[in-house]
Order: sequence, then C-alpha cells, then structure tokens
Amino acid sequence: MTAAQPLTFHARAGEKVRDLRLQAALQKARPLFVGKRAKGVAALAEDGLDFERLRSAGEEIRNRVLADLDVWLEIFEERARAGGAEVLWARDGKEICDLVIDVARRHGVSKATKSKSMLSEEADLNAALAAAGIRPVETDLGEYIVQLAGEAPSHIIAPAVHKSIDQVEALFAREHGRPVQPRSSADIPAMAAEARAVLREHFLSADMGITGANFLIAESGSAALVTNEGNGRMVTTLPKVHVIVTGIEKIVPTLEDFATLMRLLPRSATGQTISNYVSLLTGTRREGDGEGPTKTVFILVDNGRANLLGSPWQDMLRCIRCGACMNHCPVYFSLGGHAYGWVYPGPMGSVLTPLLTGLENALELPRASTGCNQCGSVCPVRIPLPKLMHRLREEQVVRGLRPRRERLMIGAWAWLARQPKLYRWLAARAARYLRWLAGDAAAIRVFGLAPAWTEGRDLPVGPGRTFHELYAARKRA
Amino acid sequence: MSSRDEILQRVRAGIGLGDAAGRRAAAEAWMAGRRCGPQPFLGGDLLGRFVARAESLSSSVERIAGRRSLPASVAGFLAAGQLGSAAVIAPELADLDWAASGLSVAARPAVDRDTVGITGCFCAIAETGTLLLLSGAQTPASVSLLPETHIALVDERRIVGTMEDAFALLRAEHGSLPRALNFVSGPSRTGDIEQTIVLGAHGPRRVHLILAAA
Ligand code: SF4
Repeated sequence: MTAAQPLTFHARAGEKVRDLRLQAALQKARPLFVGKRAKGVAALAEDGLDFERLRSAGEEIRNRVLADLDVWLEIFEERARAGGAEVLWARDGKEICDLVIDVARRHGVSKATKSKSMLSEEADLNAALAAAGIRPVETDLGEYIVQLAGEAPSHIIAPAVHKSIDQVEALFAREHGRPVQPRSSADIPAMAAEARAVLREHFLSADMGITGANFLIAESGSAALVTNEGNGRMVTTLPKVHVIVTGIEKIVPTLEDFATLMRLLPRSATGQTISNYVSLLTGTRREGDGEGPTKTVFILVDNGRANLLGSPWQDMLRCIRCGACMNHCPVYFSLGGHAYGWVYPGPMGSVLTPLLTGLENALELPRASTGCNQCGSVCPVRIPLPKLMHRLREEQVVRGLRPRRERLMIGAWAWLARQPKLYRWLAARAARYLRWLAGDAAAIRVFGLAPAWTEGRDLPVGPGRTFHELYAARKRA
Repeated sequence: MSSRDEILQRVRAGIGLGDAAGRRAAAEAWMAGRRCGPQPFLGGDLLGRFVARAESLSSSVERIAGRRSLPASVAGFLAAGQLGSAAVIAPELADLDWAASGLSVAARPAVDRDTVGITGCFCAIAETGTLLLLSGAQTPASVSLLPETHIALVDERRIVGTMEDAFALLRAEHGSLPRALNFVSGPSRTGDIEQTIVLGAHGPRRVHLILAAA
C-alpha cells in the first residue's frame, strides 16, 4: 500500500490554494460537474422516476450485499470459476502486485494496457510492474496524462481535471517526440486524436489488459466495466490475458440489481443517462471466438475493507465511486485532489483514507470539511459522509491521537467551563480585550494570539460585553 | 492460512452472523426472485423514444423496409460521407448481397486498418438509446470497436424498454452469458482535456444506426 503522507495536509493545502493554474482549472470544472448532474437527475422525472426512490433502491442493494458479504463472495467465486475465470485473493497492495506480476510472468507479458482501476492505485501497481520489467500503459486519456506527468489522479472520474491544456500539450510533445505548439481549446480534438493514435499502438501490442470493475455480478460471475472512451473494451478484447483487480465490496447480486445501479452511477458521475460503453465480461474466449482473452483472472482485494464491516463506518463500503461527493464539495474545489495525499480525494477520501491507511496517518482529513453535507445529499447510495467524518474525529480523541497541545487546551477549557465565576470574569476581560484590539473596526485583521486563524479571514468582534452582561443589562432596563 | 480464507474469516467476524447455510439459501432465493428496482414509464412508442435518445447521443439514424436493403443503404451512407466502399462485417451479416451494392466486405474480427465496421445487435434499449451487442463467433466485439465508423443494423421488433427487459430477453434466448455483453450508446467520447467533450476517443467517432422494419 502506498502510505498516505502523514500530517502534511495543511502544508499541501496551503500550496494548492496558491497554485493559480490549479485554481483556474478547478473553477472551470466545478459548474460543469454540478450542472450536468443536476440536469441528469432532473430528467428522471420525465420518465416518472423519482431520484429519491432510486437512491433508496441503490442503498438497499448495496446493504444487502454487505450484510452477507461472505456468502455473496462465495457465490461470485463459484460462478466466475464455472465461467472459466481464475479467482485469486489479495489481502493488501503488496499481494496485488505479487499476483499480477506472477500472472504476467506465467504468460510472458512484457507490456500491459490498463483501464482505470483504483485498486491498482492503492497498490502502486504501476511502479511494481515497471520494477519487474513489465511496462504499464494507462489508456484512459486522463490517466494517460497523469501517468506522463508522473502524478497520481486528482479525481476518481476525471483524473486530469487539474491539468491545463498547456500542461497537457507539454507532456504530449515530450512523450510523442515533437515540438511544443501553442494550443487553444479548438485544438483539443486534435490532441485527443494524437493520443488515440499512440494508444492504439499500445492496445494492439500489449499482451495483458488490467482493469478494475465497477461491479461484480454474483449471479453470473461477471465483471461490469463502465467507460466513455472505449478503452475498457479495448483492453478486455485485444490482449490474450485479462486481469481484473477489484475490491471485495464491489459485488451486486443480480443483473436486475446492476440495472438499478446503472440508473444511478452515470447520472451521479457525469449527468449522463448511460455511459457510452457498459460491458459485462464473463469468463474467457469461447469456442469458435476469433478474439478475446484466453485467460481471465479476478483478484479480489481486501486491503482494509473487511475490517469496516460491523464498524461504525460500514456504510462507506456502499460507495460506487461516482465522484458526486467531491464534485459538490467546497473543500475539494478549493484544493483539488492531490491535497488529500492518497488515492481517494474529496469527502469519500476523507473517510476512506484514514480507514484504509490508518487513522494516525491522516489525522487532518476527517476535519477537512465544512460540515455542509452537500456530499451526503448527492451521494447516490446515501452514505452519510459528514457523520462518518465526525465519527472519525471522535475516534481520534478516544484513541488519544490528537496533538498534545490541543488536548491540553481542551482540558483547560473543560476545567474552566466548570468554574462559572472565574469563567464569567475571564470572558468579560476577553470581550473587552478583543474590542480594544479591533479599535474602530468591526473585525480584527491579524489576531496575534492565533495568526493562522486570520490568514484568510478577519475575526469579527462584538460590542466588548459578554452575553451575560448584555442580558443582565437588558433585564434591568 | 490462505489469503482467501483469511479475508473470508475477517468478513465473517465483521458481519458477526452464523448460519451460513440459511444465509446462502436466502441469497439464492433473492437471485431467483429477480426483483427489479424502480422502472421508468416510457409510454407506448419505444421506437420513437429509441430514435430520439440515439440521436441525442450523437448517433445518426435512418430507417429501411427490411434487412435485405441493408447493403444499399450502407452504400448510400458511405458514399455521402466519402467513407470509401470497404468494410469489415460481423459474419452474421455475410448472407447479404454486399457486392451488388458495390461494397467489398470481409466477414471476420476487425483489425486496425479497417475503417468501417458493420454489425447487427442482439436488441436495442429505448430508455437510453442503447444497443446491446453480444460477443461470439458470428458477432465479434472488435467490429463495433476498432473502426472509426460503426454502422449497426437494428431490428425494430427488437427494441425493448429497459436494460432489465434486455436481460429478460437474453435469458429467454440464451442459456448463459457470452464472454462479453457490450451496451453501446453512441460514439466513444472523452472529456479529459479541460472537460471539453471530444468524439472518437478510442472507439468509433461515428455511429450510424439503420433501423429495419422487418
Ligand atoms: S461516497 Fe457516494 S457520492 Fe462519493 S463517490 Fe461514493 S457513491 Fe459517489
């Protein structure tokens, strides 16, 4: 597992806020993401569909699976094997890498084309493959761009949302061996065509395709892949080996359940009624087929998920990775995805990263929230994200993970609050002091006792009297 | 302990339930029940709905009287777009007289140099304007994927309402799932450079649907 970068969220956030190019990219994307989803959801009414009923249905399907996950995993495994696939299991990221490399070696693979798999990001699979002499090529255009940049995706459905057209142009020029040209948005089709041509060569020459799975269908032992570009179809049709790396929680029972979730996923992600390509892949090439993999391997990964079952955070396992929570998050759009330090950004990342990498490795993330609940109100499977973040904050306190200074201060405050006379006396002094500091202004520009607090805002100041004093005065009048 | 057993043990510890046999039976019963979630109300005109949706997804649509007229209408479409006269076709369409319309076709899986791919489809879905294609010897998946232009023959009698209806039809006509079920909704697209939508990301740039009444 790539470790989250401990305790540097503040530093990264400061950096991202000052990155003007990033800020411009985010401000451009935000209204598009929000507007498209709103339109997609509103259009449901034309078909007499109620989004809230669909959400309930989606929530119920995911809960049904989690309640008996062991049983569903066994059913899936049996049926996937019956269809001709091999089913392997990985406890953690290292085991993912070992298994994929082993499959690659057994089949003499020197290049693997990849369609988006978040689990492979959790495992840092690309680095492991490269170290083993196997070239990984990301084929989702956004993933390709971030791979060229040597970066991680900054969004789970729009991996390169943080990149400007000039940055993409510089990367393409370098990788494709040509001079940099001035580019405007009119050139975007030409740039996409250039990437298409380069990636087409890779599709045709790779021996192995690696994908995630949006869902695993228990009744048929199939993997469901949802893409717009068609890269998911390419990497599962052309190479002789197909490896699917996905989390154990991704199961849905039936094709009908899958159909219900498909009314939620694309709409919540991009506002589309359906993504351009939805593929259900079962087993290997059949007798008489002139194409398709001759070897299909599922790698079912735990990497911290099983521990969430029965915990206060079990609801998080319902997640269908649509990205709606980050698309509606004011914190995400102030910082972008990289500030979150690990694979998953936005509200779902603020919950998942500490849970999967260790609470002590991501202390700030559950606090990177305004508590506005925009995420919770758009989540298609009704995950109460702010509640889960609060519960994580509580857990930090229970486990004594908060910094010593904070614990001391809160301890002192708790003591003071139990001494009403002293509390009133001190509060009255403080109110006067703040008023005096502000002078004629309504707010303090820089507050010397806690300068960081006034870095991006002013501290508003009241009339110099405490509430108690004002209340008493009013009663007398 | 193997990874598999350890993971399943952790899952069981988290769930905290015994009675594996009873829970297994309940799961089997759920699958057998095939309960559908909330369904859209699509009205009676599935054909009209399908055409409207397909067009909104940037596919072009034309209608012909019957399957036999497919080569002639394909020839017309290719000529109008100056798309040449060669195509790779799904072997299931090999019985049609393509040469009579001046087309040279090859019935096989597609290769990179193919510029036009012609397929049928298992059925079409009105709710979303989607084609359902099954992989198979007669219907290779690459024909609808590698060429820049994908032309699909849709039998109007096989336009169903929803994805659930398509699954029901599939269960009725096929025992098990083929290697790949591909739901195709218009040309391939990407929005990964500055959120600008571009058609023809990795798959076809152009999708033309020819609806046959019989
Ligand atoms: S938490 Fe909900 S909104 Fe966020 S990605 Fe997961 S399913 Fe989508």
